[in-house]
Amino acid sequence: MSLIIKDLCARVKDGADILKGINLEIPKGEVHAIMGPNGSGKSTLSKVLCGHPDYEVTGGSAELDGQDLLSMSVDERSRAGLFLAFQHPVEVPGVTNANFLRAALQARMPEGETVDAVAFYKTLRAKMKQLGMDTKFTARAVNEGFSGGEKKRNDILQMLMLEPSYAILDETDSGLDVDALRIVSEGVNAMRAPFRSFMVITHYKRLLDYIRPDVVHVLYQGRIVRTAGFELVDHIEEKGFDFLKD
Amino acid sequence: MDFPENNDIRLALEQAEAEHRLATATLPDRLCEDWRFGRPHKHAAAMAELAESADNAGTVTVEGADDALCEPDDDARDSVKLMQSIGSDKFLALQLAHFGKGVVLFLERSYKEPITITYETEGTFLPTTQIVAVAGAKARIIERHICRGEKAAILCTRTIMAAEGAELSVELHEEGSGASRAMNITNITADGAAVRHLTTHSNHAWAREETVAEIMGAKGTDVQLYSANRLGAAQVLDQHTRQRHTSGGSTSNLLYKNVVDDKATAVFAGNIYVSPGAHDTDAYQSNRNMMLSEDATIHSLPGLEILADHVRCSHGSASAPMDEEQLFYLLSRGIPRHTAQLLVAEGFLGDVTSRFSPAEQD
Repeated sequence: MSLIIKDLCARVKDGADILKGINLEIPKGEVHAIMGPNGSGKSTLSKVLCGHPDYEVTGGSAELDGQDLLSMSVDERSRAGLFLAFQHPVEVPGVTNANFLRAALQARMPEGETVDAVAFYKTLRAKMKQLGMDTKFTARAVNEGFSGGEKKRNDILQMLMLEPSYAILDETDSGLDVDALRIVSEGVNAMRAPFRSFMVITHYKRLLDYIRPDVVHVLYQGRIVRTAGFELVDHIEEKGFDFLKD
Repeated sequence: MDFPENNDIRLALEQAEAEHRLATATLPDRLCEDWRFGRPHKHAAAMAELAESADNAGTVTVEGADDALCEPDDDARDSVKLMQSIGSDKFLALQLAHFGKGVVLFLERSYKEPITITYETEGTFLPTTQIVAVAGAKARIIERHICRGEKAAILCTRTIMAAEGAELSVELHEEGSGASRAMNITNITADGAAVRHLTTHSNHAWAREETVAEIMGAKGTDVQLYSANRLGAAQVLDQHTRQRHTSGGSTSNLLYKNVVDDKATAVFAGNIYVSPGAHDTDAYQSNRNMMLSEDATIHSLPGLEILADHVRCSHGSASAPMDEEQLFYLLSRGIPRHTAQLLVAEGFLGDVTSRFSPAEQD
């Protein structure tokens, strides 16, 4: 069971081609890091996989546990097990974190069943405590007025609550101070399991020191150009991405 | 020869005055600036026809204010006579012609529990509400107007007067039957007081709201006007406001929000007026609309009329479709599109209504 991406090509709607043939397989239980210079297409890959309407798939395929991911609607992809922790989590005024998460969990319930409110709040509070979040955040509107770090933590809280089978973390480390980075990484590591995989998009080794990847890919000009083990992270940290130009 | 009692003479004079006023007041027409975009030939005429033939039938229920409750009396009638409309003097005249039903609250203390007023009708009802808060009084008042049945209509005049140090939170929730009509003309006078006012309108075929706030008194006078509405089908909501600062140092804020779907129409025309010498006035006015349909119509006309030199006044208006990024964020968490749209729309309005939730009142 894997996330299998074959020859995936995509562009901004009515705009430039960004992904030019991505080939990637992430088996269950593994953590894959995606690195690459700015503008390589890392965030585009994450948004295309989630079905963002600004992008248009022009070729290739993506399968999630054998299901055609690209034919699903955005919400279906999520319910099928895909999760994206956004690079820039969106503010949703007037919708409380608690109502938002309940709606997301309710959408996963069998027809006729409803979320147990007591159990929900108990779990929510426990997960917030795990991430060092104040429980007052349950009553606050989603990400509204949150600092950059609080927004990232809130996205990770959603991941902990929704328990996806495939999680994409898009530059989750940006905006986090060292303590928050450790706490968030511990949250992610606690979710590592043989039935779950992660795609971790980052520019920096510091996140990967906490969330140790099994495989590291370099995305450059819309293609995966290198795949290796953790030694590739050390190489990039030391030499940068200049080697890609050779 | 029998001479009428003094009271009968007074009533006869009142009636003659009301009839004269009704006869001389003209119905708004298409040249009336205050009914611009309001289609007066259709809506004003229909409302006036209902009001003129009114059976004035409806129920009045008040809870939580036994010590403050009075019948509409001569003073209340005099208050209606002095009311300001925004282009709808004909409807004030109609109210006076049918005067007699409604609620007068004379608040002389702090009320911990909310006071509720409910007007309900299956016909045409013309109640009047008068709320008087003496110095230092505090209360939260929730007023509901409920129309049941195809031809139900409510025409309500409301005066809210708050003296120095008083704190009032007043909500008006209009609930229609789908085909019903509603109109309210509200005058707020805050003299050294703090008044928060919220309106919501749901499920009326047509509703018009005119709110005039006289903001006077020294520093500390504050009036906040809010409205949050969800419109669908071919519903029309026509809202007009005036924030009139007549002495210096006072503050006011207005935030009117609508979610407009299907072929519904929302009209907002507001004005901040600062009289000469009312320096250090601080006033804001904002109209925000979320459009869920390409067939929805919004007319938004915020306005300023500043006749003092040293003030801070501004206004803003924005009408746009639902934010696609917000919607995508909810969808990306597995929330189905319909539920996601509902949550975002409710959140848009909740930004207003949550300010009146009990937790926010504390």
